[in-house]
Formats: sequence, structure tokens, C-alpha cells
Amino acid sequence: MRLVMVELNRFWSRRAVALLLLTAALLMAALAGFTIWESRPVSPSDRAAAERVLERELERPFYQRDVARCERNPDQLTGRGSTTEQCVAEITPPLRVFLAREPLSLAREQVDSGLVALMLVGAVMIIVGTTFAGADWATGSLSNQLLFEPRRNRVWWAKGAAAFLATLVASAVLLAAFWCALYVTAQIRDIPTDGAVLRDIGWTVGRGVLLAASGALGAFALTMLVRHTVGTLAVLFAYALGGEALTASLPIANAGQWSLTNNVLAWIRDGTRYFDDSIVCPGGQVVCRQEALLTLTDAATYLGVLLLVVVVFSTATFWRRDVP
Amino acid sequence: MSELVIETTGLRKEFRSRRGRRIVAVEDLDLAVVAGGVHGFLGPNGSGKTTTIRMLLGLARPTSGQIRLFGEPMPQRLPRVINRVGAVVEQPKFVPNFSGRKNLSLLASAVGLPAKRVDAALAQVGLTSREHQRFGAYSLGMKQRLAVAATLLKSPDLLILDEPTNGLDPAGIRDIRDMIRELGESGVTVLLSSHILAEVQQVCHSVSIIGSGRLLATGDVDKLTGTTAGSFRVDVSDLREAARILTRAGFGVRREEQSLTVQYVARGEDISRLLAERGLHVRELTPLRPDLEALFLRLTKDDALSMPVAGYTRGQDDPEDSDSQPEAPAEAGAR
Repeated sequence: MRLVMVELNRFWSRRAVALLLLTAALLMAALAGFTIWESRPVSPSDRAAAERVLERELERPFYQRDVARCERNPDQLTGRGSTTEQCVAEITPPLRVFLAREPLSLAREQVDSGLVALMLVGAVMIIVGTTFAGADWATGSLSNQLLFEPRRNRVWWAKGAAAFLATLVASAVLLAAFWCALYVTAQIRDIPTDGAVLRDIGWTVGRGVLLAASGALGAFALTMLVRHTVGTLAVLFAYALGGEALTASLPIANAGQWSLTNNVLAWIRDGTRYFDDSIVCPGGQVVCRQEALLTLTDAATYLGVLLLVVVVFSTATFWRRDVP
Repeated sequence: MSELVIETTGLRKEFRSRRGRRIVAVEDLDLAVVAGGVHGFLGPNGSGKTTTIRMLLGLARPTSGQIRLFGEPMPQRLPRVINRVGAVVEQPKFVPNFSGRKNLSLLASAVGLPAKRVDAALAQVGLTSREHQRFGAYSLGMKQRLAVAATLLKSPDLLILDEPTNGLDPAGIRDIRDMIRELGESGVTVLLSSHILAEVQQVCHSVSIIGSGRLLATGDVDKLTGTTAGSFRVDVSDLREAARILTRAGFGVRREEQSLTVQYVARGEDISRLLAERGLHVRELTPLRPDLEALFLRLTKDDALSMPVAGYTRGQDDPEDSDSQPEAPAEAGAR
């Protein structure tokens, strides 16, 4: 525990870590600010302008022709048993279509800016995990540390635990701040928020925080293996891009289940569907939904095994190899 | 017999170069350092000194052979003795953006040492006034001092110092040498790796000389330099005649401007008696005591370090982790 505290102290004292976390905070603030600004309530002049556009649309010949068809045969456009009013309502564009923006919706942001926030935080935490280990190798200070604590497994796990715990806290703070900003804005604007949506956001953030911290731990482990910050980032970049290209080009059925992106999305979204051209449409149909489901459990298994492999290789190598 | 603080038996370290060639850095090294005093560890660049030190400290694993520190087998029992060992290996290695104090505090807290030990160590090396300055902004000498301060944190029984005066100004060198001498006299065993021969001769009680990864000589400095004694400077009235007489008697004789240098002499009186019997009166008979440098150069003259050896040329084919293995290992076959 003492070693973990020392490593946490080292983590928070690193200038590169502080700069990266500050960058992440600024990015979160910018994203939240952009989201809040883009969903600001429409002004009376905005509304008046939209109403003028709508009026012009309703005067167009094709709209008038459709209204006439609704009056003649309402079933034709909106289905059997429809009334003329229902038919006209169906073909009339709502005013919000002509407004420049939509009001803030936490449910929508969950899959929009919320997802971007998770990805940003995850990416920054991966770099943080990498630089935390990379600095020890770059400065050579690791050998100095081993002259005080020569049990290499202890040193590795203390550093790994520090990287995981610190990024867990940092991710939680950053994401919580982002969602708090959106929630408070929604409250100020009197936008009702469903409790189920909030619960869902909470779970998504929780999974995102765990993903970011695990990503930092994985990046740390990989750096302890590669012993170079830039080298590690190159490996990660190659895996992310090369892996996607490989899974897309492999002539194997359901290759999408091995895609890193699909698995990350499945983890964050509690399952996801992805295109799978190996699915045969039933009954000789030419067109059907060729989508396969990747569950949260599938994603957890994939990402967990990936992390485990890197950690095992990293610890074993660190224990065995000479330290410069 | 005195307790052995450091003991290696048949120690060997091989590296693989990036091209897959096998490079032997240390070979069959038997090293013994008794408790107390300052033991010099001499060798030319690339002779395997730093690799040996790194193996002693568990930073590199031996390919074969045994290491014992304080009688405990390494690296298995290293955690048991590490608190008794302080070491500086190669250049000082600290985090550049942390202050000197922060760097030491992190090391001290890793082993549960109180903050006052950091204060004491900084004071001992004269860095108290600069303790809050970034390590990266330190001069080379200050960095070296901080590295020495780190070794003192644990109040070690064994201090392993690899070129500790490197980069220090004359006053700093004197301070560090005095400190090493004092530590040695206080009962701490100091292993001082250096290529500054005068430093070793001034500070060390005993010395081990290695070349090409092998032990070439070991023992007390006085005895080692004594073993190659046997040369005398001789001044007589007739240098030419004296040279002829001594040469015929089987001595090695070299004519100097005002004297003769006579080699292979067991006892000085042999010269004076021989010359007196032939009517030559000796005006001066001075034993020439070779210094450590002469011994070192004689022992390591075959250490072809500057020459490319078969299969290995420095800078072209560095061993694995070449940045961490500055001592370019020589080819085994070259020995």
C-alpha cells in the first residue's frame, strides 16, 4: 500500500500528466459549452423566422397537391382508416424542422456528445497511462527505484494500481462534470429529465470510466513492455487502425465481432449491432437486416482478455529483463 | 577471515546483439570484497565494470555464476539486503521535472524512511540550498551529489559508486573523496568503480582490476603495486661501465641521461655489492615503485577496446539495450 501511495504521489506530480488532464478538462468544458450553446432556447425572432419559412413551404404546389390528395383519399397516404386531418397533419412539416436547433435532450446527448466525451476521456487516459510509465524508462529513474525496492512485481503492480486508480478518479471527475453541466442546464431551462434516462447515463458513464481506467492500465502495461512512450502509442495506433482493416478484409464469417471499435461501442452502449455480410437473408429475400448483436458480455470478455494478455506479458517481461 | 560483503563466483553475462550475435560482457569473474574499507574496481571502458555492478544490484541477471551480498545469494535474497546497500550506477537518474528533494522523498518514502533522512542526506552533500530546484536544472556536479545523497538515505553498510566524481569541480571531487574515505574508515564497505587511477590509489585500500570481463588482479593496493617493484634508479661514477656489468649479471638496464634504470632486481644490495666489487661507487640507489597506473596499463594492455574485435564494433552492433550497456563487451574470442 505504501508503494501505491508513493506511485500516486509520483503520478500527480508528473507535469506531463497534469498537462494532459488539464487538456482533457478543457476539451470537456469546450464540448459541454458547445452542446449547451447549440441547444439554447430559440428566441422569438428565431421562431418568427421559422414560421415564415413554414408558411412558404405550405404554399408550395407539391404540398397543396398532397393536401388535395388527403382530402380526396386520406387512406392513400397515411393508411387505412385515417381521417383527412390525420393525413394533413402527417404531411405537414413541424415547425421545429425549420428552427436552427433543437432543445437540449440528455437522452439524445447520451449517444451524441456524451459518446464523444467518453472517447476523448478514454484517449487522454491512454496517453496518460503511457506517459506515466514512459517517463520512468526515458529518465532511467526506474533503476534508481529498483535500488530501493527490488521486488519488481511489487513495483509493477504499485505503478499499475496508481495508474488505474488515478485515471479512474480523473475520468470520473471529468465525465461527471460534463454531465452535471448538461443536467444543470436542462434544469435551468425547465427541460424535464426522465429518471430512467439519468440512470442510463449513470451506467454509461460508469462503464466509460472503467473503460478509460482500464485503457490507462493497458497502455501502462504495454509501455512497460515496449519501454518507450512513442513506441507504445505507435503500437496502439497500429492495432486500432490495422486491426480494423484486418477484420474488415479477413474472409471469415462474422469478423466484426473481433473489431476493437465494435467491442468498445458494445461496452459503452450495453451492446451494439454491427453489419455482418455473412448473414443469409431468410426465405430467399434479397434485402434484409444483416446485423449481428455484440452484447455487453461479449465486449467485456474481448476487452478483458486483451487487457489480461498485455498485463501478463508486461509483468513477466519486466520481472525477467535487465533494467537499464 | 574477514566477512565477505561481495562475493561472485564464475560470474558470466552474455548479451545478444541486435543481429543475434552473442557478446560476452563478463566472464568467469570471481570477485571478493571484504567488509570495511574502500575497494577500487578498475577497468578500461567496456571491461564489464558497470555490467558487474548492475548484476550485483539485481538490475541485470547473470547468465551464469553466483553472487552473494552479505552472504546472501543474489538476486533471490536481494530484498533482504537492499536496505544495507546504496548505489550510484552510471549517470544520476532522476525525474528531471521534480526537485532534488522531491526525487529523494519519493525514494525515501518507498522504503518508509522519514523526511529527516532526506534533510540529512541533502545536507551531507551540500545541496540543502538547492533542494527545491528542478533536477533538470542542476549542473552535472549537483546531479552527481544528489545521486550520492540518494545512496546515503539508507545509511548503507555497502556503498557501490560508479564514477562518483564524474563531472564534479575540484572542490566537489575533494569533498566526495573525503566522504568516501570517511565512510570507509567508519566501517562502511565502499566499492568504488573508477577509471581515475590516482583517485583509486588515493582513496582505496584494496582494488580489483578487470579487463574484457575477466579479473586480472585483486588485492591490497600496496601489495599489488609492490608485486611489480624490482626496478631501481642507479647513479654511479661510470654509467657505461656500470651498465655493462649489470647487463652481464642478467639485469635489465636502461640508460637514462644522468642515471641507469635497472630492472628485475630482487634486492637493492645486489646492485651495490656487484658494482662495489668492480670498484664502482654507487651515488644513488632508489627503488622505483610503480604506481597503480603502471600496473593497470601493464595488466590491461591487451584489452583491445579501441580496436574493432571480431564480430563486434562499438556503435555498429550494440548489444541489446545498448543504451543501458555502455560498457561495450568485448568478443570472448579476443581474450
